[in-house]
Amino acid sequence: MNQHRITAMGLIMLAGSLFLTTNATKVTAAAPYDEDAYGPEAPIVWEKPTKVTFSHKTHTMDAGLACDSCHDELFIMESGAVLTTGKLTMAAMAEGKFCGSCHDGNTAFASNTKCASCHTDVNGLAPQDPIVWTKPVKAVIFNHKGHVEDFSLECDACHDDTFAMQKGTAEKAADFTMQALYDGKYCGKCHNGKTAFASDTRCNTCHIGVKGHNRMMGNDGAHATGSKAGH
Amino acid sequence: MNIEDLEKEKNEGIENLPLQERRKFLKMGLTVTGIFLGGTVLSLTSASLASSQNDPETDIPAEGQYPYPKHYGMVMRQNRCIDCEKCVEACKQTNHVPTAHGAWRTAIQERLTTENGTEKREFRPVLCNHCNRPPCVRVCPTKATYKDPETGIVVMDYAKCIGCKTCMAACPYNARYFNEEKYAIDKCNFCIDTRLAEGKTETACAAACPARVRIFGNLKDKTSEIYRLLHTPDTKIWVLRPDTGALPNVFYMNA
Repeated sequence: MNQHRITAMGLIMLAGSLFLTTNATKVTAAAPYDEDAYGPEAPIVWEKPTKVTFSHKTHTMDAGLACDSCHDELFIMESGAVLTTGKLTMAAMAEGKFCGSCHDGNTAFASNTKCASCHTDVNGLAPQDPIVWTKPVKAVIFNHKGHVEDFSLECDACHDDTFAMQKGTAEKAADFTMQALYDGKYCGKCHNGKTAFASDTRCNTCHIGVKGHNRMMGNDGAHATGSKAGH
Repeated sequence: MNIEDLEKEKNEGIENLPLQERRKFLKMGLTVTGIFLGGTVLSLTSASLASSQNDPETDIPAEGQYPYPKHYGMVMRQNRCIDCEKCVEACKQTNHVPTAHGAWRTAIQERLTTENGTEKREFRPVLCNHCNRPPCVRVCPTKATYKDPETGIVVMDYAKCIGCKTCMAACPYNARYFNEEKYAIDKCNFCIDTRLAEGKTETACAAACPARVRIFGNLKDKTSEIYRLLHTPDTKIWVLRPDTGALPNVFYMNA
């Protein structure tokens, strides 16, 4: 893969120098888009598994990549061919396949950041099931749906500054506590009583407790408690 | 009235009788019995000094009405409870509460309601209320359960317990269980043997609570947090099942 990148970089530099020497007089004029050199001008739009838009222009004309940087090794040139394999997933990209070959956080922005750059339709993109944290206390839920759909928040409102996209990252942090929230970290960035309800109010909106967690995990009534009294 | 006429009357049953009515009826019976026995049936409990503020809605003890030298109680700041059940874990570990046979000393109750389409959760921690007039103590035939004269904690003398479970039936809070290992009734005792005896000032559940829901302390001590919370003006305080007249020492508030 590295060799591949080096080849790509070499080509960019070569192309750049050729451009400078041969077209020096035309630099100021708006460069016409050449489909033979840069690929299809209209963005490629995938509808499955979710709506994703890819612009050849951004990658070739603007970033200076050559066709063979991606074709046919990463993507088969034939339109829509890659989709039939069913292998084009975010998980595959995280493993360095497809877009993840460059979008790894080094060569280009990591594939688990800046979602909206490619996922132009964010609705339905966020996880449908609630996020459940069990540390430091059992259990806290977060609903993407409520925040994205009802409050029209973009992914980057929270990711990656406030919360890493990677599942379970916050849970591992020692400061993922209510005190941190009161100090304006994590949920407390908005849940401060001004932007959204304060973190020290309405506890049970997010805290579903051990019982709620058990129910969610499908082992309702798995442990006996003395809750027979009253209520 | 003729007995034959009475037989034709439909039995109304006692199901629809309010608790207060039943209590009045029982009290009348006890008073009559008391006269026969010398009038001291109810004084089996050592809490004759205890009284409430005469508010049937709350039964919060009046200022200066704490009969015990160290009058222990607990305040539950209910709306802070998140059902993490760290208290339950800590209690089980500290007091070796069995996992079988429905044994429990403290638990969290949950109430789910739906308000405008959204699910609402409420959690309520419960444990023995260490009542000033404990029905369990009153019914015990062997005096195996009693109010500790120093602290007011309702404790068990396991050697005296014959396991008749009358106290289990009498407890308005269902706070007692049969301990198979001890072959005796067991219950929350505010960690009197496991923590207080070691000089610790809090019960295991109170110490484990991350949200400081449970405030344990001596109501006699005017500098204690529990005293301050209970005597904060304009604070709504309630107890569970005040209608039983047991005068519990576990108080609930939202704070």
